[in-house]
Amino acid sequence: MTKEEFILSGLLELYAMGISSPEETQIVQEHLDRFPELKQELKETEIALENYALSNSTQPAPSVKEKLFNQLFSGDEKNPLNMAPVVSMTKKSFVPLFYKSIAAAVFILLIGSMVLNYSYFNKYHKAQDALDLAQQQLQQKEKSNAAMTHDLSVVTNKYAMPVVLNGTPHAPDALAKIFWMKNTGQVYIDPSNLPKVPSGMQYQLWGIVDGKPVSGGMIETSKGIYHIQKMKSFGKVDAFAITLEKAGGSPTPTMDQMIVSAKM
Amino acid sequence: MPETIKYSEEELVQLLQSGDQSAFEYLYDHYSGALNTVILKLISDQQLAEDILQEAFVKIWNNFSTYESSKGRLFTWMLNITRNLTIDTIRSKSFKKQAKIQKTENAVTYTSSNINENDKFDALGIRKQTMLLKEDQKRVIDLAYFEGLTQEEISKKLDIPLGTVKTRMRTAISVLKKILQA
Repeated sequence: MTKEEFILSGLLELYAMGISSPEETQIVQEHLDRFPELKQELKETEIALENYALSNSTQPAPSVKEKLFNQLFSGDEKNPLNMAPVVSMTKKSFVPLFYKSIAAAVFILLIGSMVLNYSYFNKYHKAQDALDLAQQQLQQKEKSNAAMTHDLSVVTNKYAMPVVLNGTPHAPDALAKIFWMKNTGQVYIDPSNLPKVPSGMQYQLWGIVDGKPVSGGMIETSKGIYHIQKMKSFGKVDAFAITLEKAGGSPTPTMDQMIVSAKM
Repeated sequence: MPETIKYSEEELVQLLQSGDQSAFEYLYDHYSGALNTVILKLISDQQLAEDILQEAFVKIWNNFSTYESSKGRLFTWMLNITRNLTIDTIRSKSFKKQAKIQKTENAVTYTSSNINENDKFDALGIRKQTMLLKEDQKRVIDLAYFEGLTQEEISKKLDIPLGTVKTRMRTAISVLKKILQA
């Protein structure tokens, strides 16, 4: 069933009321696993029914609670059979009732505060974890935001002359963009449309100056993601090209590994 | 002290899993009335109902490790235990014998005991709000949720078409949900 078909089937309500057949129960549990968002729907239905039940409460006689707690929890400390031979009646009454009740009150307060401590300690831990996670996420966002702002400042620079390097027959789909600052000669490259580099290899930028190839530097990738990056500056250039070289670069370009190029 | 502590569902489950007695006391104080209603819908014998309630809570405490919160809320689990225990008791032989003898006597106590159903929830106004349910919607919910009847059984018992049972049930539950959102 799709999620919508399942909701319309009414099985979730039967399940929440505990009257679904074993087969229906199985179907509901499968759908709860498949569509976790149904758990919220189930929870709301259960709470609605639960409140209906609570609003129809019939308080049982207090003796039921007494009998229940005696049945479950006596024996550890209150069992008269264990106590009688050890503590005599006279010794027992030696401690005034006033002090006994103070001791009991202190003990109850202690237990109560332990319960609270435990619950607050858990809450504190949960909050701390959530805070750490949020801070990590914030840092990541700030990093990627800074990188994006940098990229954008290059692209929008008024002196930036965009140059498109088109793919050669080796890599017809490849493409790279150069932003050449006309006032300073700085060269920025946007390599995001270059194919993935084989391991141990790296892209190298070349500028053809007076017919000779001059290295423009290596193109860095960090975690497989390309960002706009600054290369060596060129004052004058006839053409740009990018070749695939072994990591670290080569003194001269390997011409049959030229991936993209553009004439000026 | 017990009145001032209020647990969230997760805290309660966690504490009960670790065998915390004060959490169990809270569980009893909070839910015994609702579970008692379920038993009394099925059984008119007050004394027997008290015994079943006590046994249900013994089961809840002893079998708490079998509760899986991924399958539903704690109350739903407790209600199923209580309801099954009550139904099993009714089906047992000794109950059938006794029921014959006590039938007339208890019919009277049952009705009178239901008149002073507790007013605990009036403070929250929820009790008043559940009055928004129409009587026939309430009847269908009570038979299913409290008495554990299937839709087919309800249809037979009330002598209304199965489709009507289904619609009434859905409408009633969506009314109950709306009360909570309001």
